[in-house]
Amino acid sequence: MDIKLSNEDLSFETEVREFLAGNAYKDGEDPNKWRMDWFEKAKEKGGWDVPKWPAKFGGPGWTPNQHYIWQKETARSSTPWDMPFGLSMLGPVLMAHGSEEQQERFLPDIRARKVNWCQGYSEPGAGSDLASLKTKAVLSEDGSHYVVNGTKIWTTMAHIADWIFCLTRTSDAGIKQEGITFLLFPMKQEGIEVKPIITLGGSHSVNTVFFTDIKVPVENRVGVEGKGWTYAKGLLEHERTGIAGISNSIVALEDLKQKASSVKRGNGSLMDVPSFKSKVAALEIDLMAVEYTELRSLATASAGTAPGPESSILKLKGTDIQQRIQKLTMEAGGQFSAAWGGTNAGPDFARGGMGGYMSSRVYTIYGGASEVQKDIVTKKVLGIKSTKK
Amino acid sequence: MNFDLSEEQQLVSDSIERFVLENYALESRVAIVKQTPGFSLGYWQTMSELGWLGLPFSEDDGGFGGDQLDTMVLMEQFGKGLVLEPFLASIVLGGGVLKRVANEAQRKAWLEVVIDGSKQLALAYAEPDSGFEPHNVAIAGSKTNDGYTLTGTKCMVLHGKTADAFVVSFRTSGGVVDQSGISLALIPADREGLTVQGFPTVDGLQSSELTFDRVSVTADDLLGEIDNGFGPLNEVINDGILAVAAEALGAMEILYKDTVAYTQAREQFDHPLSDFQVLQHRMVEMFMEYEQCKSLLFRATMEVAAGGDDAQRCVHALKHLVGKAAFFVGENAVQTHGGMGVTEELRVGHYFKRLLVIEAQFGNTDYHLDQFSA
Repeated sequence: MDIKLSNEDLSFETEVREFLAGNAYKDGEDPNKWRMDWFEKAKEKGGWDVPKWPAKFGGPGWTPNQHYIWQKETARSSTPWDMPFGLSMLGPVLMAHGSEEQQERFLPDIRARKVNWCQGYSEPGAGSDLASLKTKAVLSEDGSHYVVNGTKIWTTMAHIADWIFCLTRTSDAGIKQEGITFLLFPMKQEGIEVKPIITLGGSHSVNTVFFTDIKVPVENRVGVEGKGWTYAKGLLEHERTGIAGISNSIVALEDLKQKASSVKRGNGSLMDVPSFKSKVAALEIDLMAVEYTELRSLATASAGTAPGPESSILKLKGTDIQQRIQKLTMEAGGQFSAAWGGTNAGPDFARGGMGGYMSSRVYTIYGGASEVQKDIVTKKVLGIKSTKK
Repeated sequence: MNFDLSEEQQLVSDSIERFVLENYALESRVAIVKQTPGFSLGYWQTMSELGWLGLPFSEDDGGFGGDQLDTMVLMEQFGKGLVLEPFLASIVLGGGVLKRVANEAQRKAWLEVVIDGSKQLALAYAEPDSGFEPHNVAIAGSKTNDGYTLTGTKCMVLHGKTADAFVVSFRTSGGVVDQSGISLALIPADREGLTVQGFPTVDGLQSSELTFDRVSVTADDLLGEIDNGFGPLNEVINDGILAVAAEALGAMEILYKDTVAYTQAREQFDHPLSDFQVLQHRMVEMFMEYEQCKSLLFRATMEVAAGGDDAQRCVHALKHLVGKAAFFVGENAVQTHGGMGVTEELRVGHYFKRLLVIEAQFGNTDYHLDQFSA
């Protein structure tokens, strides 16, 4: 055990800082050009544009410590927006289970941020119980294509996505986890209808998507028919680590402290109010612990063990912390957090504070609700089997 | 001791419950929120005709002689539909100050038209740096021959955009946080130098910010005694707390009952969600929080109405408990509804948003805990 970073890690940290500082967005720059240039320069550094990809697929092949340093540094710097669906979700599935032809066809465009993907998993009747999904894919008689019919829900960014990776049912025989097939198809085609869902923060990012007789060539099937659940499960574990957002929370907590210090209370600031201060402190302590839970999990991964059930702990703790930060930010805004558009007095950060808090409630629902995460820990980690008849 | 509603209160309660059921389905509410002025003038008229706007005023003032208990009965039912009309702003708050301290001329000019709904009042007491303290008043009246002039900002003035006049607190002596030295005035919305900037809040209601630029306050505008405005202001804020606590109780009832119904209808893993013990116990706790709030609401409201010694402590306790319960019930209602809980399509999120605003109004959960233990 050693808490210190090695000299190699320290010089890597310096290199990352220099890169991020040298390529930060400058006022007046064309944001799109900056974004594309940033990825290009990151690529020239040796795969920094696809940090999580293995070296075999052009990634940097970093050690867990290097990943940790990258996350920490990017969280506190200006980096271009990115969508995880192609890069972090579909990418790894294709690398593990896609054909060589599929890898050549899809990975370069994902890497170049040319094609936006969305994820077709949840359905109106299949949320936490994802494996009960019903969107049907029927193989044509000549075996050349599937015909897809059904409905997906909570599909993030479906309204701007070019392609979807989609779980479909190809068989009802056997247990429900079997008979699920992983298909890829374009979103901009007849027979696909995207209906926005407006969430409580007032924003539109998720959608309901309806498929009517969508033809999908068999070469767009990833892996074997009926094995889609296995591929998707690995991907979910990936997603769950990603959405713990611990590095971002560390930055957000610092931000919260600054905001609260700017709010006048009596002769001091809100950070001098004991009840508020102790909530911030308790949050910080949890965050200090979960930061090291993540590091321990990364260390396991470096030993060659795949991220397993411990990623469920990260999602549970990480999302709880994200929600508490939002809640305390809302509290710091006091009654001004209720404002919804329009101008008003009170701290700038307060405006829309309650909307931000409402939006944060979804963290413990998406990517496997907290209740489902706890079921996974119960079974996989504690080894408890239900004996209920 | 008796916890039953009187026959009259029961009638009022039933009639408001019916009104809410008939007029405040989610779609109807959403439609009202979208149109100017953010509530229904027709419903406002109906409320006046049914006598609800006159409930907490004395018969001499043209009301029905009710007290905080009558307002509680009404607000609890309003909470079940998230009623948008400015009852709290005009009747409980603005009207609450007038009925306590207005002189004959002011009563004559305002109470009849407030009770018949043709005019509205609003209460302007909070300021940019006042935190949750109603006695933290920085706007100072500079003395003139005939009164004062005011310059400064009042914040989060509920339903200010549609108000015809404002009850405004300002400082006539003492330091910024002193309870003495606060005076009250009734200032018409069209007074020169007064600007009202309206904006919506996250719960679909309308709030506003008032800017005073050398606004004159004449002797006729003064409400009650100079320097002694904090007493009545504080009483009115206590009434406001009782009112929103009752509203919150109605909203929490909807939230826990909707959650129970949803878990029985929604199936996952080949079972209704209500089969899962973790959800069963969670819903029991939501129900318990609701019942505890109801008990303390009754206690605080009766104590205030009776003018009891423990009234102020009870009000602090109530606002704390309701805020805590609002988070617990709201967060768990949303969580248990899953993805649907965070959409605009189901009503749970709308009820939770209203609870959030109530939590931060008149001092939040922590503030009242501090006051209680002070």
